[in-house]
Amino acid sequence: MIKNSIVIESNNLSKSLAFSNQGTSQDANKSKTDETLQILHQINLQITQGESVAITGTSGSGKTTLLGLLAGLDVPTSGEVTLLDKKLSTLDEDQRAALRLGKVGFVFQSFHLMDNLTALENVMLPLELDVSLNLKNNVIRQRAKDALTQVGLEQRINHLPTQLSGGEQQRVALARAFVLSPTVLFADEPTGNLDSNTGNEIIDLLFTMQQQNNTTLVLVTHDDSLAAKCQTHYRIEAGRLEVNNIDLNSTDFKSTDLNSADLNNKDEGAS
Amino acid sequence: MSLLLNLLKQSKHFWRLAEMRLLFLALLVAVVAVTSVGFFTDRADRAMSAQATQLLGGDMVIVSTRAIDESYLKEAQQRGMRTAEVIGFPSMVSSGEKFQLAQIKAVSKDYPLNGKIETSLESLGAIENTSLDSLKANEVLADGRLFIALDAKVGEQAQLGKSKVTLAKIIRKMPDQGTNAFQFAPKIIIPLSQLAETGLLSEGSRASYSYLFSGDEAQVKSFGKWLKPKLQPQENLRTLDDGLPAVQQALQRGQRFLKMASLLAVILAGAGIALSSYSLTRHEISAVAVLKTMGASRRQILIRYLGALVTVAILAAILGSFIGYFIQSYLAGYLQDFVGQSLPEAGFLPVIIGFATSLIMALGFSAPHLLQLIKTAPIQILQRSNTVAKTSLVFSFFSLAIAVFLLMWLQTSDLKLSAYLLISVSIALGVFWVIALLMIKLVRKMAERWRLPKANRRMALMVVVFGVGLFSLLLLTTLRGDLLNRWQASLPSDAPNHFLINIQPNEVEPLMGLLSAADVNTPIYPMIRGRLIEVNEKSISPDDEAFIKNPRAQRLLTREFNLSSNATMPEGNIIQAGEWFKKEDKNGFSMELGIAENIGVTMGDSLTFDIAGQRITETITSLRTVQWDSMKPNFFVLAAPNAFDDFPKTFITSMHLPENNSGTLTEVLKQFPSVTDIDISAIITQVRELINKAAFAVQAIFLFTLVAGVVVLFSALQSQKALRRKEIAIYKSLGASRSFLRRNLLMEFAMIGALSGFLAGVLALIAANAAAYSLFDLTPEINLTIVVIGTLAGAVLVSAAGYINVRGLLSIAPVSLFR
Repeated sequence: MIKNSIVIESNNLSKSLAFSNQGTSQDANKSKTDETLQILHQINLQITQGESVAITGTSGSGKTTLLGLLAGLDVPTSGEVTLLDKKLSTLDEDQRAALRLGKVGFVFQSFHLMDNLTALENVMLPLELDVSLNLKNNVIRQRAKDALTQVGLEQRINHLPTQLSGGEQQRVALARAFVLSPTVLFADEPTGNLDSNTGNEIIDLLFTMQQQNNTTLVLVTHDDSLAAKCQTHYRIEAGRLEVNNIDLNSTDFKSTDLNSADLNNKDEGAS
Repeated sequence: MSLLLNLLKQSKHFWRLAEMRLLFLALLVAVVAVTSVGFFTDRADRAMSAQATQLLGGDMVIVSTRAIDESYLKEAQQRGMRTAEVIGFPSMVSSGEKFQLAQIKAVSKDYPLNGKIETSLESLGAIENTSLDSLKANEVLADGRLFIALDAKVGEQAQLGKSKVTLAKIIRKMPDQGTNAFQFAPKIIIPLSQLAETGLLSEGSRASYSYLFSGDEAQVKSFGKWLKPKLQPQENLRTLDDGLPAVQQALQRGQRFLKMASLLAVILAGAGIALSSYSLTRHEISAVAVLKTMGASRRQILIRYLGALVTVAILAAILGSFIGYFIQSYLAGYLQDFVGQSLPEAGFLPVIIGFATSLIMALGFSAPHLLQLIKTAPIQILQRSNTVAKTSLVFSFFSLAIAVFLLMWLQTSDLKLSAYLLISVSIALGVFWVIALLMIKLVRKMAERWRLPKANRRMALMVVVFGVGLFSLLLLTTLRGDLLNRWQASLPSDAPNHFLINIQPNEVEPLMGLLSAADVNTPIYPMIRGRLIEVNEKSISPDDEAFIKNPRAQRLLTREFNLSSNATMPEGNIIQAGEWFKKEDKNGFSMELGIAENIGVTMGDSLTFDIAGQRITETITSLRTVQWDSMKPNFFVLAAPNAFDDFPKTFITSMHLPENNSGTLTEVLKQFPSVTDIDISAIITQVRELINKAAFAVQAIFLFTLVAGVVVLFSALQSQKALRRKEIAIYKSLGASRSFLRRNLLMEFAMIGALSGFLAGVLALIAANAAAYSLFDLTPEINLTIVVIGTLAGAVLVSAAGYINVRGLLSIAPVSLFR
């Protein structure tokens, strides 16, 4: 694996939304007032393989929109995203999906597990979707079990999401995201729906798995202490990106220490 | 194989969703309704033809005016079929001083191939089956009427041609009786082997020769194929499809009702499917978005959901066909008692129709939603929105319309009727929607004054959905009641069981006097036999090109019509066009609608009949429908009251004689020896039994429709549940108490139910009368109770079911809003 190769790059990325002043049907003949809302302004960033990046900002600052654009879930108004060496503007929806297949994982604030699938079945999904892997059912099952074991849920593999606690659900989501050892993981407020203790456990687990897999992590959060655990910290203010100086004093020392130690190990292994 | 396993596995996953289970249930109900009715009507149809062939004496009969080529018999025997031979001719029979013209039937020993000859030793004595083998030398069987006419008793002798025969037994029932009841003198059955001895039949005698054939379905079919090209012009092939109009009409009406009920069940289930697939879509949007973030292509998403739908549809079709089969075999068990022989096995066609129904419904009713799912943008998962992708309204409409049309076509196998139904359904839905919106608006105004729950568009949608459901149920309830009442009423306990025919004009008055003295009051009709020879002064023949493909019209033109005239229209007839005659009218014909359509004539056409060499030409001044199952004299063509004054005629009447009053009949036949009595009590018993069985079947199918209605009710409620959950949480976070919410919910559901019930009641009233009039020949009547019942039942049902459905949500914590 080439270190420091660029995995995600954005050039002059902008996003605006055309608003039509939505009235009720009775007001249909009143003139509609169209407005344009500029969400993102000329964003330029580069993210390298294995890097952990935090994007913070207040509500409505556009951080989630940026995440969606970087992951190819949405299309920019102007500018370009290059994800895994592919210019997204040249791809249609299905091609962008194919690009994500097996290489991009997601963790969401509200977990988004399929509520009609057990924990195991949820984790099996990415393996089943990637038909190019051509895996046998028992292999899929075993790999999903292993992933769940890794997040400490081996006892609960046959439970439905409704039978799991919030923390457990997010662990399942982590197992699902990492089961294919993705190159990039996008995390959208992964602790937003969890109490702080559970949240910390999940974050530790997230970073451990990220480092083990040398996965590039793009994390959107409004929690600065969480952001500080990442190598790079961007802040979005009113749609503009600024690099935040990392203040080592305010971060949890132990966690940072662990991060660098792990990173070192990884470097040795890779070189 | 792995694909199949995968599909099953995925269906198992989807099964965990309430929406999918409702969808399955709706499909199942539809398939059960379609297959059980399909199986049942299929078997009933074939039972009817079995019944008919029983009356015919065989599965297939050739009738000829000349001796028939024996090679037919040999061929049939070689094919392993059973055969019999009948020669029929009129002859005088005498006993002592008495003479009577009788219809002689000389039959071979296997006669009849289907059905049996029932005899007794006394006129009302115990009935036993008799085979020809059991007759001793010179013994014959004879009609009860012959015994009366000859004043003879069982065991006495009579002269038949050169033979002295013993009148061994009284014929109570035999094949070939129902069909030609009006045309024949009392019958005598003699073994064919004794015919030569009588010396009655010589070259050139007027006789009808028949061969009877019987075998399994395939044999009959292939033999028919072999036979048809070989038939001589005078040889007619009979497969009795116009056997018993009375029984057939009763059964047809029943079948029509069953088909309509199953069609409504299907439509209701369709609404259930559309609703549950709608809520399934809402539920699965975030799942699809997640799958897309994982890299799933649109094709994969399509396959995932289409696969699940198709699998569920096929599973519902398999299970539904089984259940349908068992239900119909239960129903058929009842029918079997009536037919008195094993019913033909159910065909496979209903299963195919069941599968087609299930697939069309699953795909057609959820295609628009499926398309929305595929279009779901992956970005939604980050925006925490659950908006459904927009689909074109035109696509949705066409998808639904095509599905509904195909379903109707499958059920009715009638393109025109299906198109007609589709248009009516669309219009009805449009009317429903508009009225619902108007009423909601009205309620909204009142709501401010009375602090009722806020009415909105969602309520209008619910009103339409529940309205359609309640409408179907109310419509069926009304029709079912009407139909059952009508069936019961059409054959009251005093329905006529005897026809008197061949009454001479001079006998009319004394006979009526005798009858009224015996407390029997009944109308009497002249009967004139004529052949239709010209239409609009152009001669017409059964061989005309227009009739080649219409065997029924051919038959009608070949034989003689029974014409009559009367000042008042016979009971049970309904004028469909034109006007009934006025008292002084001398001109015009009133024709039965069906026969007019068959021959291709209509109002204003002139018809010319040949009556014993005399011609009568009149124009058609009215068209009537006739209640064939009334067991009263019915006529295809009725002329003005005095039109037949100068034509030769006899009279006919019908009457009800209680079983213990055979004295009156004996007296009539003694005083008026030329009058012929036709005893139809056996047929009446048959029809009555049939009606009871059919009524049971109607009730059973009605139950399916009810189940389908309940499924719709719950899918509609389920589809609103997520929205309601949010609403309740918001209300609670604002400080609403449980009792406030309960009251609000109950009021809202009661309002929706009452509105939809009211609308459904009004529309059902209109539709029921239209259907009663056009489909079931029933008299329309305005009965407002259905509107009241609809409104009340709607309010109670919807609020009960609605409350049960959302009750759990009342204890929801407002904090769930933030998740």
